[in-house]
Amino acid sequence: MARRVVVTGVGAVCASGATAPEFRRNLEAGVCGIKKKTFAPGDGLSATVSVAPVEGFEERAAALGRDIARTDRFTQFAVAAADEAVADSGLEIDEALAPKAAAIIGTGIGGAGSQDQAYMAMLQQGRRPHPLTILRIIPNAPASHLSIRFGLRGPAFAISSACASGAHAIGVCADMIRAGAAEVGLAGASEAVLSYGPLEAWRAMHIMSDELCRPFSKNRKGLIIGEGAGILVLEEYERAKARGAKIYAELAGFGMNADGKDMINPAVEGATGAMREAIKTLDIGDAANVYINAHGTGTLMNDPTETKAIREVFGADADRLIVSSTKSMHGHLLGAAGGVEAIAALMALNEGVIPPTINLDEPDPACDLDYCPNEAQRRRVDVALSNSFAFGGLNAVLAFKRV
Amino acid sequence: MAEHEQELLAIIKNHAVGVSGDLTRDTPVADLGIDSFAIVEIVYEVEEKLGVEIPFNANQNPFGEMKTVGDLLDAVQSLMKQS
Repeated sequence: MARRVVVTGVGAVCASGATAPEFRRNLEAGVCGIKKKTFAPGDGLSATVSVAPVEGFEERAAALGRDIARTDRFTQFAVAAADEAVADSGLEIDEALAPKAAAIIGTGIGGAGSQDQAYMAMLQQGRRPHPLTILRIIPNAPASHLSIRFGLRGPAFAISSACASGAHAIGVCADMIRAGAAEVGLAGASEAVLSYGPLEAWRAMHIMSDELCRPFSKNRKGLIIGEGAGILVLEEYERAKARGAKIYAELAGFGMNADGKDMINPAVEGATGAMREAIKTLDIGDAANVYINAHGTGTLMNDPTETKAIREVFGADADRLIVSSTKSMHGHLLGAAGGVEAIAALMALNEGVIPPTINLDEPDPACDLDYCPNEAQRRRVDVALSNSFAFGGLNAVLAFKRV
Repeated sequence: MAEHEQELLAIIKNHAVGVSGDLTRDTPVADLGIDSFAIVEIVYEVEEKLGVEIPFNANQNPFGEMKTVGDLLDAVQSLMKQS
């Protein structure tokens, strides 16, 4: 009998909410977390950028304990979300379970803020970097801190695949549980790049919107960078059932591949292949009960390509299923996108609420699916996909279904 | 009292989460609650605040034999003299 993997706990922090329940409420209400912020590190340097920030997090970070207070913001987000997910799951990591408990936490970039600070201090004030700079910026900092915090002594590492990091981390952790390398795992991703230097680097790509994020809308102006973390507790199904855990869904499919074509432009075939792989063993049933949390970045590169890929995979059924991009509300969390968006997909599955694509006010002939525009819809969902398609042509798709 | 002793004590105390009262030369190092992070932070702060360079190399374990805060102060001061 093949081992199955289920989600038994969730934790989220992003512009749309400080916790998973607040995140779900704000998504349902279509609350936009995007605002203009000025990043001015001194010496006349200043950038005013539309971003989706997590406000007022510093006090919470300080309360996460002395060790975590000294880490980069991306580790602090991961810890806050993991604390919530573990408490939500009711999981106890005892001595017997610890060697089979994993921590697979993705990030697109790592401790960008700490690196920025260290370089600014060197270049502006001639100061040496803080001696913990390296420990703050390494991409595996969240995985390592979670393993220490919760006593997880099984497989632990970071996965980095730009905007697909979170989906890759969740999918790979689930594969490891299926293969018996772990029984449980904390899986997800974290990102915190809202700092002067990284934002200027993003602006140099000329793909960022200067106002809102408008996925699938003809008046789209580009992506909006967000920050935060989304962490799931994954668990082998029989174990979860035996301890009477609350089960959100089964992570029933995972597809990953690479376009092998271009660093920036996504390929329809790559996205199509990853979605097909994710659903190949699923009984989809009525396509009207399928929800796809789209990658939906609000860029001309992504939106029409993703639309074509969904049509390619589902054929005529593409007109029966429902799609939305919650990036319209919480922005693009880059590496962490797959983490929080998996939680949005679970919300649709568990509560029958499709989070809307807000700011969709000008239909685009190249984007002709039902994107749940502007208002949440009540709808039964049996299968929920979460799409992540990264710069560099790296694709990861998660498929959740009811147990 | 040796040079900079009060400043050094203040820096160490700031990282000694295990100690609630005053630090003296006789306080056991094992009671300080200093972890691997704190050692590099203490060295960094001493350098920044006192404007000295400590030729500290973690590979040489210069603090290995310390039993009391007095031993720690002596080790830091000895490193400061080398610079």
